[in-house]
Amino acid sequence: MKKILLMFVAVFAMVTVLVACGDNGDTDTADNGYDENGYEENGDNGDVETPDVTEITLVNNKPETDAALNAFADVFYAETGIRVNIVTFGGETPYAASLTAMFNAGDEPEIFVIEGMTDFVIARDSDRIFDLTGEAWLNDTDVAFNYNGGVYGFPVSIEGYGLAYNRALLEASGVDPSTMTNVEGIRAAFEQIDAMSDELGIEGVISLAAGAGMTWVTGIHGFNGYLALGMDFDDASILDDLLDGVIDEERMLLFAEYYELLFEHSIRTTLLTGGYDQQLGDFAIGRTVFLHQGNWTDPAFAELGIDFDMGFLPHAFLPEDTNGIFAFVPSWYVVNGQSEGTEAALQFLDFMATSPEGHNYMVNEAGMVPAFNSVTLSPEGALSQSVQAWANAGNFYPMLATNMPAGFGMNTLGPIFEQLASGAIDPQEFVDLVRDAVENIGPNE
Amino acid sequence: MAKAKTRKHSPVFYLFLFPAVFALTLVIIIPFILGVYYSFTDWNAVSGTQVNWVGLQNYTAVFNDVTFLHSFIVTSVFAVINMIVINLVSFGLAMIVTNKLKFTNIYRAGFFLPHLIGGIILGYIWQFIFNNAIPAFGNTIGFSWLAQNPFLAERNLAILAIVIVSTWQFAGYIMMIYVAAIQGVPASLLEAAEIDGATYLQRVRHVLLPLIAPAFTISTFLTLLNSFRIFDVNLALTAGGPAGMFMGRALNTTEFLALNIYNTAFAFRELAQGQAQAVIFFITITTIALIQVYFNKRKEITM
Repeated sequence: MKKILLMFVAVFAMVTVLVACGDNGDTDTADNGYDENGYEENGDNGDVETPDVTEITLVNNKPETDAALNAFADVFYAETGIRVNIVTFGGETPYAASLTAMFNAGDEPEIFVIEGMTDFVIARDSDRIFDLTGEAWLNDTDVAFNYNGGVYGFPVSIEGYGLAYNRALLEASGVDPSTMTNVEGIRAAFEQIDAMSDELGIEGVISLAAGAGMTWVTGIHGFNGYLALGMDFDDASILDDLLDGVIDEERMLLFAEYYELLFEHSIRTTLLTGGYDQQLGDFAIGRTVFLHQGNWTDPAFAELGIDFDMGFLPHAFLPEDTNGIFAFVPSWYVVNGQSEGTEAALQFLDFMATSPEGHNYMVNEAGMVPAFNSVTLSPEGALSQSVQAWANAGNFYPMLATNMPAGFGMNTLGPIFEQLASGAIDPQEFVDLVRDAVENIGPNE
Repeated sequence: MAKAKTRKHSPVFYLFLFPAVFALTLVIIIPFILGVYYSFTDWNAVSGTQVNWVGLQNYTAVFNDVTFLHSFIVTSVFAVINMIVINLVSFGLAMIVTNKLKFTNIYRAGFFLPHLIGGIILGYIWQFIFNNAIPAFGNTIGFSWLAQNPFLAERNLAILAIVIVSTWQFAGYIMMIYVAAIQGVPASLLEAAEIDGATYLQRVRHVLLPLIAPAFTISTFLTLLNSFRIFDVNLALTAGGPAGMFMGRALNTTEFLALNIYNTAFAFRELAQGQAQAVIFFITITTIALIQVYFNKRKEITM
C-alpha cells in the first residue's frame, strides 16, 4: 500500500515538473512555433545601405491575399528602398495566437491587424497602438477605426451585404428596383414576382436559409437590420439599448414582418434544412431572384462558373425609404507605436492608400472592395462591384450585430428566427420572444 | 500464499505499472481534477488572465438555464429510445447471422461496416439522405407526405432521424457482442430443450436469453452511455435544430447534452459554466450506469 502511494506521489511529481516545464518553456516554444508554422516570410534579397529603418514587418491575417501583398511589398521596395516583410497567419495557423506569440517573443511587427473592438482593447492595453490622426489618407475614407477621438486603424477592405438580386431575372419580371427602398415596395415586388413564378422558371422569390447552422445569416446579418437600418453611421443607440435589455417594439414588429415576408417567399426546404451551399446553389442556378448574402460569395460564384450580372438592394424593412446596404470593415491595419519602424510603416500605409500601385493591389490583385473613395478601379466580382458602388455613393449602414454578446445572435436569436421561418410563431410572438431574450442580456448579467 | 506473493513485488513490478499510471494521470486524472476546479471559478481559457474562485455561482447558473434543462430531458428520452432500438436491432441481427445461412460472414462484415465510418461524415451523409433523397423518393413513389415533411425540420422526426443514424452506426458493433455470446451457449442445452418439446420461441426465451444475460448487461450499458454522450452525429446531422418552444423560450429542440455543453462553452464563451455542466453530466451518467449495471447483474446466471 505504501509503495503504491509512493508510486502515485512520484507520478504526480513528474507530471508537475512536466507541466511546469511547459509553462517556463512557453516563450521558447512559441518562438519556434511560428517559425515552423506558416511563417511565410518574404525573401530578403540583400538590402541597400540606407539610413533609418529599412526593414519592417507586416502581419497579415488573410492567406488569400498573401501573394498579392508580397508583390505589392516588392513594388514599395523598388520605390522607397524599404523592405516590408509580409508574415501571414491564417488558415491552419490561428492568427490571434500566433501574433501573441510574436509579441511574447519580442519580435514585434510594425503593422498588424485588428478585427474589432476586442482586439483593439488588447492592443491598446499593451500600450502599442499608434494614433494615426493627421495621416493624409484619412480624408479619403469614412471607415477608419476611431476610438475616443483618436484614429487607430487603416481599413483593409469593405464587405457588404443586402438583398442580392439576379439582374436578368429581375428585369424579366418587370419590377423596377428603384421602387424597392421601403417595405411596401419590396412587398409589392415580391408578390408580383411570385405571381410570375412559372414564367420566370423560379421556385421561390428569395434564397434564404434559417435552419440550425445557418443562424449567422438570420441572427447576425439579418438582425443587424434592426440595429442599423436607417440610422446614422455613428449612431449605435439601438444597440446600446439592446445591451441594456431594452428593445424598440414598434421597430421590432416592422422588422419581424419584413422577415416573415422573406420567409414566406423562400424555398421552404432550403429555408428550414438547407446549408450555405444549398442557399447559394438555388440562387446560382436561377431557382430564385434574390439571395440573402454578401459579396463574400463572389469567389464561390466564380468557382461555379456563374457570370450573370448581380447587384444589391437594401433590406428596407421600414415604411419610409432607406436606401443603403450594410457595409463593414472586417479588419484594420494598426501601427505599432513602440517600434523604430513606425515612420516606415506609416509610409507604407500611405503608399497603399494613395498611389495607383496601391489601388491596383487592393482591387485588381487582392480582389477587395477598397475603403477609399478616390479609388476608381473596380473589383472583378459582380457583388463586390455593387458593394463598391453603394459605398462610394455613401449609401450604407454599419454592422453592429457583431458587438452583441457572444452566442446571442446565432444561438439565442437564431431559434427565434427559425420559428418564424417555419410558421410556428407570428411577428408579434417574435417580438415577445426577442424582448424576453434581450431582457436576459440586461445589466444584471 | 497470496499475501506472500504480494510482498514479493519487486521494483520491476512498479516499473511496468509506471507507463500506464503515468498516462492515466496525465490525460485523465489531472484534467479531471482541473475541470472540477474550473467549474468553481470564472475561468475563461484566455491565458494570462486571473482565475477567481466564485463558489457555486456556475452551478446556480446551470440550474437556472432553461436550455440545459431541456437538453437534459430530451437527451434522456433519446437515450432510452436509442438504447432499446439499438439492442433490439442488434440482437435481431445477431440471431440472423448465427443461423445457418449462406454468406453469414459477409452479413457480419456488412452490418459492422457503418461503425467504421466517423460520426461527422455519417451525419453529413444522412443529412443529405433526409433532406434530398427521402423527399425525392417520396415524389417518385407518389407518397407526398415524405416529400412535404423533411425529417430534420420537425422535432420528433429529427429525434427519430438521430435514432436511425445512431442505430445504423452502432447496431453492427453491439451485434458482435451478441454473436460472441450466442456462440458461447452450448448447443447441447438448446438441443435438450428441443427434445423436451420446447418451441423455438421458448428456447430463445428460457434457454438462450438467460445464458446471454451478461451480453445484455454490457450492451445496454454501452448503448445507454453512448446515447447520452452522443455529439458528432448530433452536430453533423441536426446541429441542434429544428427550433421549438420550451417553457416560453425558443431553443434548439435536438440539442443534446454534449452539444449544449459545447455551445455554452464555445458559442456563449461561458467556459466555466460549461465545466459545471460537464461535471453534472459526468455525475449523471455515472449514476445511471452504476444503477443499470447493478440491476442487470441480478438477472445474470452462471452455468
